[in-house]
Amino acid sequence: MSGISGSLRRLQAAVGENQLLTDTEAVSRYRVDGQMPVAVVLPQSVEEVAAVLRAAAESGLPLLLWGGGRHMHLGAPCGPIGAVVLMSGLNRVVAYDPNDLTVTAQAGMSLEALQKVVGEHGQMLPLDPPGGASATLGGIAATNAAGALRMSYGAPRDLIIGMRVALTDGSVIKTGGRTVKNVAGYELGKLFIGSLGTVGAICELTLRLVPRPEQTVVLVSAMDLRPAAAMAEALLSSRLGVTSIELLNPAAASRVPGLPVAARNHYVIVIGLMGEAEGIARQERDIRAMSGEAWGRLEGGAADNLRERVGALAYPEAEGVLVRASVPVGDVHGLVAMLSDEEGWLVLARPGDGVVYAASPASPPRVRRVVDALRLRAEGVDGHAVVVSAPAQVKRELSVWGRETANADLMRGLKQAFDAAGVLGCGRFVPGL
Amino acid sequence: MVDKKVVGLLRKAVGRDNVLTEPAELLLYSYDSSTARGRPGAVAFPATTEEVARVVQVCAQRRLPFVPRGAGTNLSGGSVPAEGAVVVQLSRMNAILEIDARNLRAVVQPGVVNLDLQKALAPRGLQFCPDPASQKVSTIGGNVAENAGGPHCLKYGVTANHVVGLTVVLPDGSVRRFGGKSLDPPGFDLVGLFVGSEGTFGIATEVVVRLKPLPESAQIVLALFETLESAGEAVSRIIAAGMMPAAMEIMDRTTLEAVEASFPSGLPTDVEAVLLIELDGLKEVLDRQAEGCAAICRKLQARQVEIGRTAEERDKLWASRRSAFGATARVSPSMLVNDATVPRTRIPEVLRQLQEIERRHGVRIAKIFHAGDGNLHSNILFDRDDPNGLRAAEAASAEIFRVAAGVGGTITGEHGVGAEKARFMELIYSPDDIAAQRKLRQVFDPHGIANPGKVLPAEEPAAGAKR
Repeated sequence: MSGISGSLRRLQAAVGENQLLTDTEAVSRYRVDGQMPVAVVLPQSVEEVAAVLRAAAESGLPLLLWGGGRHMHLGAPCGPIGAVVLMSGLNRVVAYDPNDLTVTAQAGMSLEALQKVVGEHGQMLPLDPPGGASATLGGIAATNAAGALRMSYGAPRDLIIGMRVALTDGSVIKTGGRTVKNVAGYELGKLFIGSLGTVGAICELTLRLVPRPEQTVVLVSAMDLRPAAAMAEALLSSRLGVTSIELLNPAAASRVPGLPVAARNHYVIVIGLMGEAEGIARQERDIRAMSGEAWGRLEGGAADNLRERVGALAYPEAEGVLVRASVPVGDVHGLVAMLSDEEGWLVLARPGDGVVYAASPASPPRVRRVVDALRLRAEGVDGHAVVVSAPAQVKRELSVWGRETANADLMRGLKQAFDAAGVLGCGRFVPGL
Repeated sequence: MVDKKVVGLLRKAVGRDNVLTEPAELLLYSYDSSTARGRPGAVAFPATTEEVARVVQVCAQRRLPFVPRGAGTNLSGGSVPAEGAVVVQLSRMNAILEIDARNLRAVVQPGVVNLDLQKALAPRGLQFCPDPASQKVSTIGGNVAENAGGPHCLKYGVTANHVVGLTVVLPDGSVRRFGGKSLDPPGFDLVGLFVGSEGTFGIATEVVVRLKPLPESAQIVLALFETLESAGEAVSRIIAAGMMPAAMEIMDRTTLEAVEASFPSGLPTDVEAVLLIELDGLKEVLDRQAEGCAAICRKLQARQVEIGRTAEERDKLWASRRSAFGATARVSPSMLVNDATVPRTRIPEVLRQLQEIERRHGVRIAKIFHAGDGNLHSNILFDRDDPNGLRAAEAASAEIFRVAAGVGGTITGEHGVGAEKARFMELIYSPDDIAAQRKLRQVFDPHGIANPGKVLPAEEPAAGAKR
């Protein structure tokens, strides 16, 4: 049997007619790191996803799972792609009873669409991933993508309480359930969250929701790095309970339109407040008392829009390089300070999570030195730095995931147990997975 | 008992005086807070990660089963040894290694008692959010193994949301570090997988936890209802009103009578339900929230509604809930604890079914639940000396699991599967689901020596299992 055509026949058998595309126009839309898939397959049900995975495993066809395509810049340079599995056909709400404060939806549904459904009942999914609201739930889960709200509400790994996942043996398994508290069996869902589609295809998710806040405010101020970092640290250990804290270097601040203060080539601190009006009034009073700087203020939709524009700094531009460092909370200041001499680098820090994004809009020749320095510094305090996005040839020069993990044997064991044929992920995840 | 050679090796691993082998001594480690029993072969008391590793290596070389043990407060038999297993008793590893306030992290050994950690953190204005009811005695290692919950999960999440790093001795005796003080280490989420593995993936010997500032203030609303349903309805309306209390607890009349008999607080015992709502956060917000909750309760014809604003008033209102478990145990010779959990909106119908079950099996069920997150605690009262007592209680418990599974719930919200519920896993998981969990276990413990017989059902699925 000729390799690829046999594989495609099997794929075709796994789905209905017109659900397998091989024409150049269709497949060229799904290029990753210069790799073009041979085919695009459009399953319409969880069972079809499972059948596709099984067919691929049996014929050794590498699969790339694709939700909204908002996270395809992530990871090591993509290897050859047999077929892209387009999850957008799975886009329904499966179960939603607002009083449970949970919702079950299919993986191909966009965050935006889900927010609309739950918003009608005064609720929200407290996630603001870098890929924005057009990202799909499955993509957000597979990348554990979180934004500024994480310090108060957690990441996808904290908000997902159950999943249905298709495996390469053709089975569809359930992990977790529909209750916030559930310790029946292992936390198997954690294997798939953040795994970049290397061990199974997330098809359905049950998520925790929260009531929409009565009021949303952002406070913005421009100041030197030292007082800005001190302010962030003070807020994190205070009982004031602010919702989010973001710190932008002058270059990053200059990229954000509509800041309610003049950045004047200073660092900018953006504090998000969500909750009851009385609480926010108190938070504002205390924050203004902590710093004599001028504070700009936005409320409601304007506040949401600004947080979104700031969050966009964590999303890569096509030709640039974007790095994310993760360090203990107290080391964020030092990391940002280190980057202050690097001309042209945009820095967005989330002190509450110990996360620092650094972006260079172009790929300057010095990119390697900056990445190495950042990585060295992060690893020195028990953290790490990963290259979130870069042109394929720059990715090859840099090690995207950093030094090899000490537990490579365990991770390979997990990969082997769930994808023995090695057909999932196309080599974008940590080496060997 | 294990053979002499093994005893010698264990003594060499942890010191002569730190191994127990006398039958009378072993008996003390043959049970936990559940009804399960199993006699260990030996008990070892390591004091360091290296000593734990040496003990596990002794076991690994002989494929001898072992089970980690903290305070033994497990309610599902999870810490009860398989016959002849080596109990790795972690009570000597009870040091808080570091409180790193700047980074909002603490590093602790597994034998640290949850409440001791809280007491060390409180003067710095910090807390470790998980606070299971057993927190006076249960250890952080046990909390990690069970992915412990507590009353505050609706707002603050479970243990898995607050553990960011682990040092682990794997079942092959190797020492590993998973995660650390920073988030998102590249690769699979090994910390997330390990939490809740009930001692079957190895032994955590150091735990890095996330800390949060203590809330500035709190208020308690207590409401008495003529029916359990109206108490449940109040909970739903509070959620629908957009409030997120730190805890919402309901006690039924049976529980209330037990509490008043043992620790009188002056509450009337002729009401069917007590609802306790704890609100925390900024003081400016709490007054309106407390009034809002009280208004909802009054609208539902609550007989009495009280708001506790001072620490003293709060403690008084919480006292009955805190003593509920102990008080219930006092009025009944024996008690089987069931913590099936259901989606919150299904609570009313499950309550009706619980009454049916009580009638059908001739048992009394004292009901206390974390209503905010649907976690029911159905404490089935029975008399161990009555030969039919345990049987009836177990039959009632099995039926509660079925009811919970039938409404999309789970067989355990926070107590773990352990030995007692392994055979009920098939009520909520298909053979494929369980096969996937088994694969996961085999990666961590290929020879099945870490706490065997727990969590997953025996390989042959029971007839009539869910497909």
